[in-house]
Amino acid sequence: MQIDPVNNKRPVNLDLPTVVRQPFPALISITHRVSGVFLLVGVGFLLYLLQESFSSPSSFAELQSLLDGVGVRLFLWLVVSALLYHWVAGVRHLLMDIGVGETLRGGRFGAMAVAAISAVLIALAGVWIWS
Amino acid sequence: MQVSVYRYNPDSDNAPYMQDLEVDIPAGRDLMVLDVMHLLKEQDETLVFRRSCREGVCGSDGVNMNGKNGLACVTPVSEVATSGKLVIRPLPGLPVIRDLVVDMSMFYAQYERIQPYLMNDEPTTGIERLQSPEEREKLDGLYECILCACCSTSCPSFWWNPDRFVGPAGLLQAYRFLADSRDRATEERLSSLQDPFSVFRCRGIMNCVNVCPKGLNPTRAIGHIRSMLLRRAS
Repeated sequence: MQIDPVNNKRPVNLDLPTVVRQPFPALISITHRVSGVFLLVGVGFLLYLLQESFSSPSSFAELQSLLDGVGVRLFLWLVVSALLYHWVAGVRHLLMDIGVGETLRGGRFGAMAVAAISAVLIALAGVWIWS
Repeated sequence: MQVSVYRYNPDSDNAPYMQDLEVDIPAGRDLMVLDVMHLLKEQDETLVFRRSCREGVCGSDGVNMNGKNGLACVTPVSEVATSGKLVIRPLPGLPVIRDLVVDMSMFYAQYERIQPYLMNDEPTTGIERLQSPEEREKLDGLYECILCACCSTSCPSFWWNPDRFVGPAGLLQAYRFLADSRDRATEERLSSLQDPFSVFRCRGIMNCVNVCPKGLNPTRAIGHIRSMLLRRAS
């Protein structure tokens, strides 16, 4: 469909995010997408770790010493956090697809549940990575 | 009370700006935002906005108040100006004609596209096409929409693709006719909605449900359309 605005020099009130306030479920949605884009890189990193750990005993040992580095661990935690968050928010999408949490209150509750559950999982992942 | 209002006059302004005005609100009273807009107009009669019924029926005074869309006539100042300052801007995402008046052409084009009327080529019997109370009940929560555009202009998917994504208001009406027992064009309606944009640009963030002044739920209607498309494809 072609839409031809009468005057395309007209201004548009769309100053994000300071002027147009975004509700919490919208913030959960945009971070869901950002985490997805980040995982494009992050999952590559995880697959690289997996491949190295399988290739030989010496590379496994090398990997172990690499993962002792604080920076590497922090990055690993970041990737795992993105994965957990993306997964939890994705499950919420599946639930909404079958009609669960599609009311105003349900949507807000679902968004808060995603934040709370993934916060717990991310904390647990941090304990797992540093122990 | 301090009020900040979006101003733009295409004949004299190169760019929109915010005008700050002081409005006296009678002590102990909570006005509707539309009342405040009238008080602003008393101070500066060049301020332009749309309004008609002033009681939430006509849907012409949809504006963005302190970052949230709604009808100015049924929104109490105390509800939006929680910090003590009221900020009134035009509905986001649509081209501004002047001040708070936006060009709704794109919004209406999407409404027109979903063919918002009954389609039934079966011969009539000389009386109305009857519905059972149960069939009629299916239209509750759908037919009440007044096309104020608060929902579609709060939707990021509609901001970025107003030409291809139907938007919450249009989709609520699309489902209103899909759900109508008297309509016979279900197949035709669904096939015009099955592309990746018309319905599927909805990400379910529910900004539409968050702002609807009539308390309707476009997200759920969109979910129903999605299910119908899925059943049809399988």
